[in-house]
Amino acid sequence: MDLGRYFLIFLATFLVQNILLIRFIALCSFFGISTSVETSVGMSLAVIFVMMISSTLTWVLWNFVLAPLGIGEFLYIPSFILVIASFVQLEELFIKKAAPALYRAMGIYLPLITTNCAVLAAATEVAKPGFIKLSVAYHYTLPEAWVYTLGVALGYSAALLVFATIRERVDSAPVPAVFKGYPIAFVTASLMSLALTGFAGLFGI
Amino acid sequence: MKLVLTYAIATMGLMGLVFGALLALASKKFAVETDPRVGEIRSVLPGANCGACGFPGCDALAEAIAAGKAPVDACKAGGPSVTAKVAQVMGATVELPKRRMVALVKCIGDRERARGRGEYAGVPTCRAAVLAGGGHKECLYGCLGFGDCVRACAFDAIKVGPGGIAVVDPAKCTACGKCVSACPRGIIEIVPADQHVHVMCRNQEKGAVTRKQCSVGCIACQACVRACPREAIKVESNVAVIDYSKCDDCGTCATKCPVKVISPKPAKALEENAAAC
Repeated sequence: MDLGRYFLIFLATFLVQNILLIRFIALCSFFGISTSVETSVGMSLAVIFVMMISSTLTWVLWNFVLAPLGIGEFLYIPSFILVIASFVQLEELFIKKAAPALYRAMGIYLPLITTNCAVLAAATEVAKPGFIKLSVAYHYTLPEAWVYTLGVALGYSAALLVFATIRERVDSAPVPAVFKGYPIAFVTASLMSLALTGFAGLFGI
Repeated sequence: MKLVLTYAIATMGLMGLVFGALLALASKKFAVETDPRVGEIRSVLPGANCGACGFPGCDALAEAIAAGKAPVDACKAGGPSVTAKVAQVMGATVELPKRRMVALVKCIGDRERARGRGEYAGVPTCRAAVLAGGGHKECLYGCLGFGDCVRACAFDAIKVGPGGIAVVDPAKCTACGKCVSACPRGIIEIVPADQHVHVMCRNQEKGAVTRKQCSVGCIACQACVRACPREAIKVESNVAVIDYSKCDDCGTCATKCPVKVISPKPAKALEENAAAC
């Protein structure tokens, strides 16, 4: 159990290769949800939950079914989507019945993130490495997959929450009429992204 | 090559079957019971989400009524017609109220008639004006015309007229009561819609003071009290008040009023005023 390795994987996915601000994946939900901090919190929780379990499922699917049978190279996208979508549906039914309060808090975001590219990206990378060449790990064990996905999910949540708080302030600031709404949001996000590029190359990642 | 194809088709097919079966099972096992009456009740409610019933929107009220947590006539904004339909869904019998009610702004002291005491340059809401020393009118009971009631109305039934006084459109008003609570002066009342005679003032100052503040303020001279054949009007706290259960709309008090603050046919006058703004 190499803690250093886990730390590097986490740092890589959380900061250096932040899925939203460095890799620009899942931006539509990013800009859509971030108008209020409350909805952002709900969305973050849903994303963390779904991502963790989806990655586990896809890792298992790849390592025990797709790779041994040699059909992974061309079937991984549809089978991963099938698994993720079914799982999210099951989970939504379960939460609606078992925890109505939780359902009211984040249940409506579950269909939104069923085929969210961030979920699919994280799920694919842990199963079929090579999507993004992280120098720190190439073939992930299951614990490494969890750390990877946690990093992606937390990186998404952190960027989303920070952006939502900034955006709430910007919405009530004296912005020129041409920039009001999405233009100034994009400018803000690009500035955040610039800030995060400062981490590039950290620890050789 | 052929083997790979077989594997691929078999895997995808099997996964599809397994997950499909799993989801079908789960949807049965984790089904959430919803009362079908909730949907029916929701469809007869007005859908304006005004909140006058005390519940956060028509969806919440429909659920509450179906669960027995709210009475069948909870929707005041919908009026007797909605109450009757909800009662039909719930299988209950309900006695309908006798008269249709509407809101009425009891003030006709507009810019020409009420004396001003300066220009108000603060936050343009009635509540702020009242807090900032009582507003720009001498009369501390009159309508300020900044439109807190207009913003509270979910049915677009009240507007500030050209004279700077709020006026209710009785055709659109559902008597939900939001404007009544929004008005910081408390001069909006819910009155019977078919009643034509109203005392259009709530000024509680003595007659001499009221006379200086507004040319149509009630001076509590008691001429109306003496004239009324049914003792339906009284003077309380220096202002005339009509008891709508006793009043039969004869309008005698209106003809005897020296300041003409009792409108004989205010419904018509208000409609004209509402149409003008």
